[in-house]
Amino acid sequence: MRHMLFTILATVAPVTGFAEQDPRVAHIVQDHILPRFETLADASDTLANSARAECTATSDALRAAYFDAFDAWVSASHLRFGPTEIENRAFALAFWPDSRGATPKGLRQIISARDPVAMSASDYQEVSIAARGFYALEYLLFDEGIRALGDETYRCTLTQTITADIAAMSHAIEDDWRTDYAAQLLSPSGDGHYRSDDEALQELLKALSAGLQFTGDTRIGRPLGSFTKPRPKRAEAWRSGRSARHVALSLQSLNELSRMLAGTDEGLSRKLGEEFTRASTQLTGLNDPVFASITEPRGRLRLEVVQQSVGRIRTLVREALGPALGVAAGFNSMDGD
Amino acid sequence: MTRPFLSTTALLLAFSSPAFAIDKSAVVDNYADIAAAAYGDSLITAKALQAAIKTLTETPSAENLQAAKAAWISARVPYQQTEVFRFGNAIVDDWEGKVNAWPLDEGLIDYVDASYGGPSDENAFAGLNVIANPSFTLSGAQIDAKTITPELLSETLQEADGVEANVATGYHAIEFLLWGQDLNGHGDGAGNRPWTDFASGDSCTNDNCDRRAEYLTAATDLLVSDLEWMAQQWSDGGAARTDLLADADAGLSAMLTGMGSLSYGEQAGERMRLGLMLNDPEEEHDCFSDNTHNSHYFDGLGVQNVYLGEYVRVDGTLVAGPSLSDMVAANDADLDAEMKSKLSTTMMALGRIKTAAEAGFAYDQMLERGNKAGEALVMGGVNGLIDQTRSIERVVTALNLDGIDFEGSDSLDDPNAVFQ
Repeated sequence: MRHMLFTILATVAPVTGFAEQDPRVAHIVQDHILPRFETLADASDTLANSARAECTATSDALRAAYFDAFDAWVSASHLRFGPTEIENRAFALAFWPDSRGATPKGLRQIISARDPVAMSASDYQEVSIAARGFYALEYLLFDEGIRALGDETYRCTLTQTITADIAAMSHAIEDDWRTDYAAQLLSPSGDGHYRSDDEALQELLKALSAGLQFTGDTRIGRPLGSFTKPRPKRAEAWRSGRSARHVALSLQSLNELSRMLAGTDEGLSRKLGEEFTRASTQLTGLNDPVFASITEPRGRLRLEVVQQSVGRIRTLVREALGPALGVAAGFNSMDGD
Repeated sequence: MTRPFLSTTALLLAFSSPAFAIDKSAVVDNYADIAAAAYGDSLITAKALQAAIKTLTETPSAENLQAAKAAWISARVPYQQTEVFRFGNAIVDDWEGKVNAWPLDEGLIDYVDASYGGPSDENAFAGLNVIANPSFTLSGAQIDAKTITPELLSETLQEADGVEANVATGYHAIEFLLWGQDLNGHGDGAGNRPWTDFASGDSCTNDNCDRRAEYLTAATDLLVSDLEWMAQQWSDGGAARTDLLADADAGLSAMLTGMGSLSYGEQAGERMRLGLMLNDPEEEHDCFSDNTHNSHYFDGLGVQNVYLGEYVRVDGTLVAGPSLSDMVAANDADLDAEMKSKLSTTMMALGRIKTAAEAGFAYDQMLERGNKAGEALVMGGVNGLIDQTRSIERVVTALNLDGIDFEGSDSLDDPNAVFQ
């Protein structure tokens, strides 16, 4: 009897194992995830090449390449699972927020000591994540204190090494997606990382909701501070004038992902689109690249309105999109305090 | 040949007998019992700490400082096992900053080494040193700190100027006053405050010994009264218990939210992986006492306690009852086995960190740049915690709790609620 039972199971299992794949996952992998990491790898190459050609902090070409690569990262920054989490890649590409000033502190130590670790990108993988990636590079290119520290030759080498490190990590992420992780997400199996389409969809829903949370609570919430004490200097990348741009870019990416997750549910897709458009329009209307106006009640209120709109999207995702997909919101890295 | 018969019987029972279903509210009730016991134990051990500190301040000596430190270490054992109650129970999350806020800019409280620096862009009061300053200006107001009272600490100094790193109360403020700064970096040794920092008259070192003792006493009194309040909330008729039992599904959701949020975002991320990636010896949870290995271990144990529905009290008594594990096993025995196995793997990894630390390889040494063995130990814990979170998510799905909001502490205070 037992033998027969196993035979029956063996016949049935492949049918359920290769059940028709959810088309939304494939669409998202092909048209949302892979293009973003390809753009990041390409833009990071251009950045590293530009730093090799001209490494002074004020170089227009270097700054333009930095902006393009940083744009590419922000547009992919919600995709925090799988290849971005190997070897601390995403943490090292984008260590922010930095409430204890670890980035300037780390850079000062390295520059003051003329630490030989900056001579090669592979050695540089050993240093604190706070001294790596796009946010450390922002200090090297835009912070007056860091730009005046130590000698120019060393800072030049450090700039080249950090950009090469960024390029190496960006390529590693893209390679892992193409050679391994896309297949894992597309072909769930009992002993794989994802056991079912539901688990794959849950991962993508988590990326969406964590991305919204980060943009609402951190990118916008951190500078807002409290009513009596707004903190514009806590805005993301204010030194390079990019704070509002990061909110806008992340909303664009999250809008696309949410619509792809909504799939054929046109009503929900339209509703999501409307909410994202509302938030983006409000942000554009603010016309304040580094949220400097939040020290005045009027400016503050207008940024709060953007934050509320992001909150409405989060509610819609939680209460409508999650149930439509039939998966729970799960846990994300911001669940702590 | 009785085996096939037994499995057949078991199958029939599983399909036909609703009596096997586990009562959800009994599971939630047992969880509240465990919380009550763990907060009760935290209170008992905090009172022992209070007594040891009274002895130290009345009769300062090296032995009495050592006894107070030992009492602090013991007090952390039950408290860390309560951290799993924090996420998912708003009443705990709103309160816990008073007792366990971290990290802190300790220069707010007492003297620090020159290498600490002073006020920073983030915190203008990072170097305030209230023990040395009976009067100072804070956000435009003149503050009278001639007498250091629990009210001064909780109402004025805690989160002064809206900065979270201004931690004036709780375990870590007390820890700093007992141990002092750990100036050994990645080297051997914890903070090494001389007992004479509490001595009277000419024996007093680093000045203001009486005010230092006053601060330590006030902070400990506050810890005891805060824990008294929380233990009350979990006793019969207490608000935390009543809220939880009002809706069994929401109660189960709170249990799993606590397990997942503590495992992943808080412990694996903020407390363990971040410190490793920053190679910063101050990025350890109990940085003055070098007790971080225990903090991590007992945090992990708290998560396992909630799943298994068991807790060993500080007097050795076992509190146990119907559990999440029982519920999951009734639905999906494989998933229950998976969950238990992942929790065990994590405890083994956290146990390795604890073992190495107790043998002399301190947690801050593990965080040093290029220290491969330390990195492997810490990452073992991180990977275990991340991996068990995936199984916790599967448990949520298996118990059909999908519809419930499943986020962490941030979402407990829904920012949108303010505007509605």
